[in-house]
Amino acid sequence: MPTNFNGMKKLGKNRKKNNKAAYWMVSPYIIYFLIFMAYPLIFSVVLVFNKWDIVSPMHWIGLKNIIRLFHDQLFFQSLINTGIFLIIHIPLQIFLALIFAVLLNEKIAGRLFFRAVYFMPVVISGVVITILWQQLYSEQNGVLNMILFHLGLPKIPWLRSPSLAMPSIALMATWKNVGLYIILFLAGLQSIPKYLYEVADIDGATGFDKFIRITIPMLNPTMILVVILSTLGGFSLFIEPYVLTGGGPMGHTMSTVLYIYKEAMLFGRMGYAASLAFVYTLIIFAVVLIQRKVIEQES
Amino acid sequence: MRNLHRFLRIFLVLILLGLGCTSNNHSGEKQGVIFLTYWPSANQYEINLAAQEVKEWNATHPKIQIKMQPIPASQSSEEVLLAAIAGKTTPDICSNIWPGTMGQFTRAGAVVQLDTFPDFDSLLTARVPPKIADGCRYLNGHFYQIPWKTNPVMIQYNINMLKDVGIDTFPKKYSQYLEVGRKVTRDLNGDGQVDQWMSYVDVREKWWTRFFDFYPFYIAASGGKTLLKGKEVIFENRASVGVFKFFQEGFNEHIFPRARFQIDPFLTELVASRFTGPWEILHTEKYKPKDLKYDFAPIPLPDSLKGPSYTYGDPKNIVIFKTTKHPKQAWQFVKFLVSRKNDLSLLKICGQLPVRKNILSDSLFASYFRKNHHMAKFAQMIPFSRGVDAVPEMKEIFDAISLEFEACAILGKRTPEDAVKRAGKRCRQILME
Repeated sequence: MPTNFNGMKKLGKNRKKNNKAAYWMVSPYIIYFLIFMAYPLIFSVVLVFNKWDIVSPMHWIGLKNIIRLFHDQLFFQSLINTGIFLIIHIPLQIFLALIFAVLLNEKIAGRLFFRAVYFMPVVISGVVITILWQQLYSEQNGVLNMILFHLGLPKIPWLRSPSLAMPSIALMATWKNVGLYIILFLAGLQSIPKYLYEVADIDGATGFDKFIRITIPMLNPTMILVVILSTLGGFSLFIEPYVLTGGGPMGHTMSTVLYIYKEAMLFGRMGYAASLAFVYTLIIFAVVLIQRKVIEQES
Repeated sequence: MRNLHRFLRIFLVLILLGLGCTSNNHSGEKQGVIFLTYWPSANQYEINLAAQEVKEWNATHPKIQIKMQPIPASQSSEEVLLAAIAGKTTPDICSNIWPGTMGQFTRAGAVVQLDTFPDFDSLLTARVPPKIADGCRYLNGHFYQIPWKTNPVMIQYNINMLKDVGIDTFPKKYSQYLEVGRKVTRDLNGDGQVDQWMSYVDVREKWWTRFFDFYPFYIAASGGKTLLKGKEVIFENRASVGVFKFFQEGFNEHIFPRARFQIDPFLTELVASRFTGPWEILHTEKYKPKDLKYDFAPIPLPDSLKGPSYTYGDPKNIVIFKTTKHPKQAWQFVKFLVSRKNDLSLLKICGQLPVRKNILSDSLFASYFRKNHHMAKFAQMIPFSRGVDAVPEMKEIFDAISLEFEACAILGKRTPEDAVKRAGKRCRQILME
């Protein structure tokens, strides 16, 4: 018995020593988490109730930031703009990604090359891509308008027309991100058991039947992932309007994140920007939750 | 395990040391020598000027040594300065201060009140035209900045392009300008597309783009007024409506293209004129085609207005930051920077104008202006140039105006009256918040 007791004591000591080592091992991340995540989060909650421009002392204003937010037309316009972007971007992205994934899943010549090419925009910097598209969309001598001009059609103000600017940005964002979703769909397609298609062939199903009755239902988990990822990506729309339009024309491409950035970094309204960010986070949370419920119910 | 502990401890200590030692302020005092840091603008011309001035100062003031460091690179120098104020890493002296940010700096208590120096008033009165000096006064009536340089916005025009349509003198009134614009704007190669315009307006929705269209035109049309009087909005008037109307007409008639150019449209002779400042002289001389002849003219006025044409001065001023431990010595260096001799160097090296009274009649500058008649035209505008109001919300105010300018003048979606009213309402809200 004493021997067992000593053994347990030794084990306890070792465990303590191991725990200590474990704490040391996780400490870099804990420090990182506390400095770069927990502290800013807590600080931004404090900011919601304060007026602060970074350089002046903080000034307590209670709920004024929140009250202002509900009367801020520009904020509501930014939400509508982001909504328009999502409505165009998400279906377009899913549709294109699915089509390309199905094509790239077939045994075609140069399959690997095409997979790499479609994925390339994902890894290129957003700013670089946006500048390239700026040249494409240029009203005066952009490639798209040059083509239209040579076809005898009028030039289109892609980024200057209030009704066209956001769809143009959505098209560009789709082009940039579609590669990632092609890969996700490809992975989903390759996990569908082959015998399902063989059985369908025996039953005389057409290619379209197989796509609708086997491929689409079997891709449901991937679909949920793609919808949620592209929704979150869409909600954080920033680089494209920042570089391409600066939020114009007439604020029609002012995404909510760009609006928050402007309030904070350009006008120094840190407290108000923090309030906007909090409300926006709640909206995103609600949308993703609803989306998930709807998709889960349907599947 | 012990080694791991030791490694992690050293790692943490290094991180903390790294965090604690990141200051770029080299000011202080060592063995009786005072060291001050001076930040000029980061453009090469101004770096050259600052280097020359600092070299001369250091040679003649062994007890007060200046370390020059251009404002660190960023999207704008205002952002860098705000970050420096927040981090308490501001230099002792900075010479690239846009007065629009002074409200914020002053409210934050980041800058030294300059009128506490006994010789400040006499220096200001001797150097700066009274209207410009008044514009630099903070809301509390005190001075925290000294006017240094100004770049009055004028119109640079292509003499030959105007001659081609029978125009010898640049139009002085709105209706004349639009009439000339209609003649200049045309399809040269007959492909059904306009390929030559009267002028170019930056159509981006950026708050500062209005410094080169709406704002100088508003100052001219209002007889030298700025946007605010204290915290009261005063731009909601006929002058603003007239300016919006002028630009709306210009865009509607394609005198101003709605597109952006990827190349310099003036030097490539796509546009016959542009709204710009004296810095363009050096640039144009360096890059212009051999046969391009150009000149400068004041901003046109509404048809009914008589009198001189005022304009936006695009001023940049000098401040001493409160982080300095040696404000008196810093003030001595500031006085050196705005001396006559260094003002001449500013002209010669940077092609920018010092804010100096009677500069055209001052014998020191006479030979420079004789050789540089374009710059003399800008110098004539100094008494008629205005800055921006010193309120912390200046950027937001320009942003609000920019939004309405775009909606009305560029896109034609609102009437000038409605747009000005909306801009005024928004600005009042901003000032109240």
